[in-house]
Amino acid sequence: MTDGLARILSKPTYESEQFVAKLSANGEDALLEMKSKIHMLNDETAQALKKNVFKNYSQFIETAREISILEGEMYQLSHMLSDQKSEMTKMMELSLVSDRAIIQGLKGEEEEKTNPEEENRRNLAFLLEKVEGCSSVVDAPGRQLVHDGDLVELDAETHAQIQRVHAFLLNDSLMIATWIPHRRGPMRYRFQGLYELDGLAVVNVRDTGPVKNGFKILNFPESHMYQTDTAKAKRQWLDALEDTKKKKALRDKQKKEAAMRLAEQQLQAALASPGEADLSKSFTDDKEESVDRDYLSADWLQELPEDLDMYIAQRNFEGAVDLVEKGYDYLTDCPKGPALKEFKARIEHRVKQLTDGLMNELQVSPERSLRGGPRAARRAVTQLIRLGKSAQACELFLRNRSAIIKYNIRQLKFEGATTLYIRCLCGVFYSSLSDTAKEFIKAFPGHYGCYSAFVIWAKQELQSFVSIFKRQVFESKASLSTIADCVLLARGHCQELSTIGLDIEFCLDALLDISIQNVIEETKDQLIEGIKYRAHDDVWRPMNHLTQADCDKYIADVATTGYDLTPYIFDKCFIAITMNSIQFSKVIVTFAEDLLKLHSSEQEDSSADVITTVFKAQITHIEHSLQSEQLKKEHVLILKNAQFLLEVVMDKIKTLYTKYNVPFPVKLQHLSSHYRKLKASK
Amino acid sequence: MSKAKTQQPAVIHKVIMVGSGGVGKSALTLQFMYDEFVEDYEPTKADSYRKKVVLDGEEVQIDILDTAGQEDYAAIRDNYFRSGEGFLCVFSIKEQESFQATQDFREQILRVKNDENIPFLLVGNMVDLADQRQVSVEEATKRAQEWKVSYVETSAKTRANVDKVFYDLLRYIGKYKLTPAGRKALSQNATNSSNHPETTGCSCVAM
Repeated sequence: MTDGLARILSKPTYESEQFVAKLSANGEDALLEMKSKIHMLNDETAQALKKNVFKNYSQFIETAREISILEGEMYQLSHMLSDQKSEMTKMMELSLVSDRAIIQGLKGEEEEKTNPEEENRRNLAFLLEKVEGCSSVVDAPGRQLVHDGDLVELDAETHAQIQRVHAFLLNDSLMIATWIPHRRGPMRYRFQGLYELDGLAVVNVRDTGPVKNGFKILNFPESHMYQTDTAKAKRQWLDALEDTKKKKALRDKQKKEAAMRLAEQQLQAALASPGEADLSKSFTDDKEESVDRDYLSADWLQELPEDLDMYIAQRNFEGAVDLVEKGYDYLTDCPKGPALKEFKARIEHRVKQLTDGLMNELQVSPERSLRGGPRAARRAVTQLIRLGKSAQACELFLRNRSAIIKYNIRQLKFEGATTLYIRCLCGVFYSSLSDTAKEFIKAFPGHYGCYSAFVIWAKQELQSFVSIFKRQVFESKASLSTIADCVLLARGHCQELSTIGLDIEFCLDALLDISIQNVIEETKDQLIEGIKYRAHDDVWRPMNHLTQADCDKYIADVATTGYDLTPYIFDKCFIAITMNSIQFSKVIVTFAEDLLKLHSSEQEDSSADVITTVFKAQITHIEHSLQSEQLKKEHVLILKNAQFLLEVVMDKIKTLYTKYNVPFPVKLQHLSSHYRKLKASK
Repeated sequence: MSKAKTQQPAVIHKVIMVGSGGVGKSALTLQFMYDEFVEDYEPTKADSYRKKVVLDGEEVQIDILDTAGQEDYAAIRDNYFRSGEGFLCVFSIKEQESFQATQDFREQILRVKNDENIPFLLVGNMVDLADQRQVSVEEATKRAQEWKVSYVETSAKTRANVDKVFYDLLRYIGKYKLTPAGRKALSQNATNSSNHPETTGCSCVAM
């Protein structure tokens, strides 16, 4: 009924006046009924509202948590950005300083000579900052800045001013960049042209007309005229141009001579061994420069370096690698020549940047969150493999995984029982390990060389895992049972791993062996100590439970541990087995079970020794008691106990051995025959 | 380039001085430009001069590119030659070698300009030192006729025929620019041309 009412009330066409009019027409009773209905509806709605609030409350909390995490990340991000910004301004200041340094360096030529190559490269880097679209210029290896300055470009015919430019004289070419007016930011010039010094004709324009301090640069079909501010500046420019051209000519000549020598050597070598004749042939290919220049003039290829730059900047690594592969594919067909070499060098420079970027992606840094997880790493790894850097990719990938494992383990909180913690620890570690293994197989398909690296990595990780494991398990003075459980857990996980082809159980065993031996020895000593202590006070009295009910209760109690004491009941409330024997039987079985849990084939002998020793200790106690004069009248009882221990308890141990599928040790078997001896000696 | 304002006479004739080192290209240029003779020899790298002259009643600009005789690089020399509209190929009459070198310059210019009718004058300089003459007038005239160009002997020192060679060349350039072949060759900075009948005479002027 109330549902119907609710539907009516929540109808979009509901009109209160009409509804009330209809109701009131039916008289008082109907109104009262309606009132109670509305009350009910009210209550229900309140309830539902409460429920909804609760439901949404948990959702709200979840959302708030997500938001706070997001906030943290954003904060980190903005921090990083501001860091980067300050870094940028710092770099700009640096480059401006070095800019000045270069011009000063020009005067002292010796200084320049001592400058290492790397520094020159950095000097060039500031061009990138100042000049738009000149990255291809900066890339060429061995390029240096010799001289630069502001010039005014004039019309070569009319000598009218055209625009302001900035010219950069490099050691092999002249770059002209036009001034960009009203521009904010570091880019103050736009790349206009690069002229090789080889064919560049420089003309000193004498001050004959209204135009002073002019000079021309002729490079067919272009001819440009520039004007400096002062006669001195023009002199500097002409001298620098002349000087640089001469130096370049000298360098070229030396290179040519070296090439000639090399050719001669190769020719001689080829003559000496006709089999290598194709070597010298390949050298002649070098002369086909024009051919490979044509080959390289494809538009997309020319833009390839800049496109690569863009992709790297956008972190579009897939696109970049695609492009690199396309480029390399194309270039393999290209005739070999110096132009190709230069171009390749340009690409290789980019590839290096790209590799660095990708490696950085995989790099583990403390401030980097590991949220990206394995899938993010796979992306970078795949690209690195495509670039032929599988070894680095492998190394970084595994390092990344190590960090993830470490992080995950650190997230675990040590609380409650050791077994519980170890269960979590094993869960985290082994699932990470198997994740990594699966991920590795996916990421490095066919790179079998990397697999050994993975195996070594897995072993190392296992070692660090075991060190944590040992700290938690062995050093916390946990009982042997706990330790056995923990070891069993770890082994179980190892066996699971072997299903994906990674068997590290033997490593685990080897790492844990000594610790296990020690703890077994310790436990053995404790047990023997306990036996001796109890033997000292043993007066060989049957257990008296006073009432039959209590006795039954005790029997039932012991039955849960697997012993049936009913054959030993006498006089209704007496049990012929002493407290001491019962205690021992409990202890020895637990001990045996622990030993069996920890069992490994290497320890077979020692564990048999240990359990035999402990058992013997008790038997010795029985023997002593039998020989004791004071206990002569208890002989029957003692023998009964001996029978219980050596037959019932031993059987129990035997079944345990079969349960764990371990051969029953011969030494224990010998021990079980002891009872007959004892009986005989009686 | 279109931004340029034309404040100066529109017609500019570009003359290039070619020839071996030390034959007096710069001396001729300076004599023409400034009416002075520079005795000291200093090798030129590449200088350009500009001057307003009145040629047959019309004001034109002459743009002289004085090149380096010692320039080693053919590629750079090509770049100089490409910018020229007319050439004064200078040798020293007292140096047979410099006369021989004119053959190379001629060939290079023709290769670059790709038109054998390009305005060109063979100039034998240092005629004031005629007593040390090694290159005879006949020899030079013969070569000029082979090339279908004029041969003029000059002295940068005495200013003999200095104005003549420049003005003659300017006239040739002016005429050449009016022919379709010339227009084509010069406007495109000359890579292709046809062998058009040329009006350039081969009047030889000897001292």
